[in-house]
Amino acid sequence: MKKFVALVLALTMSVSMFACGSKDTTGDTADNGSATTENNGSTATTADGSVLSVCLASEPDTIDPALNSTVDGATMVVHLFSGLATWEQAEDGTLQIVADAAEELVEGVPNEDGTVTYTYTLRDGLTWSDGEPVTADDFVFAWNRAASVDLAADYGYMFEVVDGYDEIWETDADGNFVNPDAKLNVQAPDEKTIVVTLANAVSYWNELLAFPTYYPVREDVVANEAWATDPSTYVSNGPYTLTGWEHNSVITLTKNEHYVDADLITMPQIDFYLSDDNNNMLTNFENGSWQLIDDVPTNEIANLQATYPDEYFVTGQLGTYYVCWNINEDILPEGSGLTGAEAENAKAEIRNAISLLFDRNYIVESVAQGGQKPASSFVAMGVTNPDGTEFYETAGGNDYPGYYDVSPEAYESNFASAIETLKKYYDFDESTQQFTNFPALTYLYNTGDSHKAIGEYLASALSGVGITLNLENQEWNTFLNTRKDGGYSIARNGWLADYNDPISFLDMWTSGSGNNDVQYGKGDHASVAGYSLDLTPYGIDYKAENATWAETYDVLISNIKSCTDNEVRYEMMHLAEDMLMETGCIVPLYFYTDIYMLDSSVKGFYSNPLGYKYFMYCTIEG
Amino acid sequence: MNSKTLMYILKRILLAILTVWVVITVTFFVTRIIPGGPFLSEKAVTPAAQAAMEAKYGLDKPVFEQYITYLKDVLHLEFGPSLKQRGRDVIDIISTGLKVSAKLGVIAAACAAVVGIVLGSVAALRRNKIIDKVIMVITTAFVSMPSFIMGSLLLTLFAVKLAILPANGTTASGLILPVITLALYPAAYITRLTRSSMLDVLGQDYIRTARAKGVAGYRIIFGHALKNSLIPVLTYLGPMLAYIVTGSLVVEKIFAVPGIGRDFVNSITNRDYPLVMGTTIVLATLIVVMNLITDILYKVVDPRINLE
Repeated sequence: MKKFVALVLALTMSVSMFACGSKDTTGDTADNGSATTENNGSTATTADGSVLSVCLASEPDTIDPALNSTVDGATMVVHLFSGLATWEQAEDGTLQIVADAAEELVEGVPNEDGTVTYTYTLRDGLTWSDGEPVTADDFVFAWNRAASVDLAADYGYMFEVVDGYDEIWETDADGNFVNPDAKLNVQAPDEKTIVVTLANAVSYWNELLAFPTYYPVREDVVANEAWATDPSTYVSNGPYTLTGWEHNSVITLTKNEHYVDADLITMPQIDFYLSDDNNNMLTNFENGSWQLIDDVPTNEIANLQATYPDEYFVTGQLGTYYVCWNINEDILPEGSGLTGAEAENAKAEIRNAISLLFDRNYIVESVAQGGQKPASSFVAMGVTNPDGTEFYETAGGNDYPGYYDVSPEAYESNFASAIETLKKYYDFDESTQQFTNFPALTYLYNTGDSHKAIGEYLASALSGVGITLNLENQEWNTFLNTRKDGGYSIARNGWLADYNDPISFLDMWTSGSGNNDVQYGKGDHASVAGYSLDLTPYGIDYKAENATWAETYDVLISNIKSCTDNEVRYEMMHLAEDMLMETGCIVPLYFYTDIYMLDSSVKGFYSNPLGYKYFMYCTIEG
Repeated sequence: MNSKTLMYILKRILLAILTVWVVITVTFFVTRIIPGGPFLSEKAVTPAAQAAMEAKYGLDKPVFEQYITYLKDVLHLEFGPSLKQRGRDVIDIISTGLKVSAKLGVIAAACAAVVGIVLGSVAALRRNKIIDKVIMVITTAFVSMPSFIMGSLLLTLFAVKLAILPANGTTASGLILPVITLALYPAAYITRLTRSSMLDVLGQDYIRTARAKGVAGYRIIFGHALKNSLIPVLTYLGPMLAYIVTGSLVVEKIFAVPGIGRDFVNSITNRDYPLVMGTTIVLATLIVVMNLITDILYKVVDPRINLE
């Protein structure tokens, strides 16, 4: 009898296991209504090279070109839309900005009032994915929408160079907008012509035209607020159309046969898988399901470099990872007796000395491990001077790039000179080689393994000379809030530029800027009169000595923004960075890199300095 | 069903509604108290743009007024638009994610229950035999192993080394590994629960009586022993659901399953207030309702249980 019962139970068990399995398979068709998105891994989709499966990040908040503010969202948008200009890879491998929807990228015509007018002609045969023609009015509408108060897009400020933007956002003392009907100075005299006037000449204007916020959208399409969330309502004008979107799972782009340059597009379909788990990404790359992943686990980097020498890539990014000091933090020893500008100068000297105690080569090689480049200036590698040379190489006016020598050989002498400087202010015990009265500091970072590892290195470097650096981590949103409000002494920071111009690193430090985490010109620092600015060598009648941050740096930035002579403008931008770095509040550690894994069977891929990836000219071989 | 039972059920339902209301209220005010906000990002928007956004979503009004408005909306089952995923409604985001999560959770729960009850019964009937010992060793291992370790192990073995199952749970076959990961702990727990309670029941007088009366062995097991030994298992259903709901947050992440877990976690990081509220309300209601059902089921299985 017992045997019978056991048999029955065993049978029940196997049936139940089978039932579990078959539930899975039946769910298959039910859950994948959209035929184009069904995908069971590499074998089914890439065998004929017609589908490229990639994973950049988790689901983007939006793929509305005006609202998007992420790099992964922008990558999708550049495949879906076609603006006046785009990034293209030349035959020699270099990247350039070329005309896309426009016939050509024209030179601006200066007006008497200092504004500059550009007139573009649209190419023939441009259509939306639903067959309607693309008109100049679509651009005018899209630009005004992206810059509008109603949309309040994160990247609305990308239009601040266009005449009329300031009027749109002008508020009275109560914060009410005073010109509700204001528009950008952009017109469409006929269906093919776009005339846009900029407040003054802007050297990176063509780059802005290639930026997703500048892409066209059609008024009747975006009238539906949810238009960009569903393939059935998503109308675009680029090389691809949105044909599938399973939320949090996969976004499918299919080649748009109506696209004017469709014959140049070699990849019929791109599946953007949506995941932010870099371990999961790596698993899918290693088993061949995905051909490109845009993130890898930090602790796997060394291993991946060795295992996949031809598939592991590191490219530069326009960004700097740095540590910032709260300028109002009192770090002077008790009883120093220093006040005002004198105290500020002493603090600047101390902060600059501490900056030299960190071994940036050790950080990039042993801690960050992502092929980053040690940094000694704030404006990132990849940002260029008008003549094409690197801005960071000419920064600081030294015989090495940047404000201090970060070559491995220089570390020891940097360290020694830093100790000598600090000895002027603090007691140093020669027997233990430690400072005895340096006030304890706290390093604030956002929760994350890599940030923590860097914090631990900084703390250990400082503890070697007797300076205590406590580590405190906060959840991302809380961290942003604390850092923005200046509720910290030292904090982790990073900045990625949106266009190749140093001003994108410099205008954030004016006293009124929302990104001024250092708190320049805020709180006690607002009244510190310790800065000088002389603009007379640049032909501008302005000279200030022993003045505040607002009277010097803010004035310098506004002059840079209105300067029309590019050479002078770059000289003034170097001057602005000099001012920033002299305060010692910005401690650059390294220039960011973008690490990705790309299957060696994929040809024709490129990415731009902003990190956007271009798959349209890809082919899969073998 | 007598009036006493009906009163009890009514009381429990009212209590459940009260619980959900408390959850809504606490969550609403706590999300507003924690630092940060939905429009905060690495690249700060101008104060004017931030004010424009706050006005657009009614966040410029006093918090208590927002709370009253929100309660009214919830009564009409309106959860509002997401602040981050612009153009999408919270209800739409939740239903998309919940469909996937529910499928994962229900399959995992069903597998856990069936496998657990069968293995537990086998172990009890074969007490101290080799099969019993094997089952006990394996279940002890599974009970003590956290799901993130089990998930990573399964992922490495089946998705990387053997490459027979996909690593991402976006497809149907991709759900196999997450289901196994999620089901193993409750299955092991139910096995141990069933075994001990079955052993307890098998020692009872009424089983001995049935045997003495010559009732067939399988009728004793299925007709008498199993039903009574399942009461402790029933009590575990509530905690199991809670485990599966919270456990799926981890499992969904490991296997990139597009469920509600990711939305829940990200909504908090993003301070997407309507989405935080929506997911909290849905998950809280789910757990409250399941506990309610479990309590009522006790009564059905064992009428002797005094509901008061």
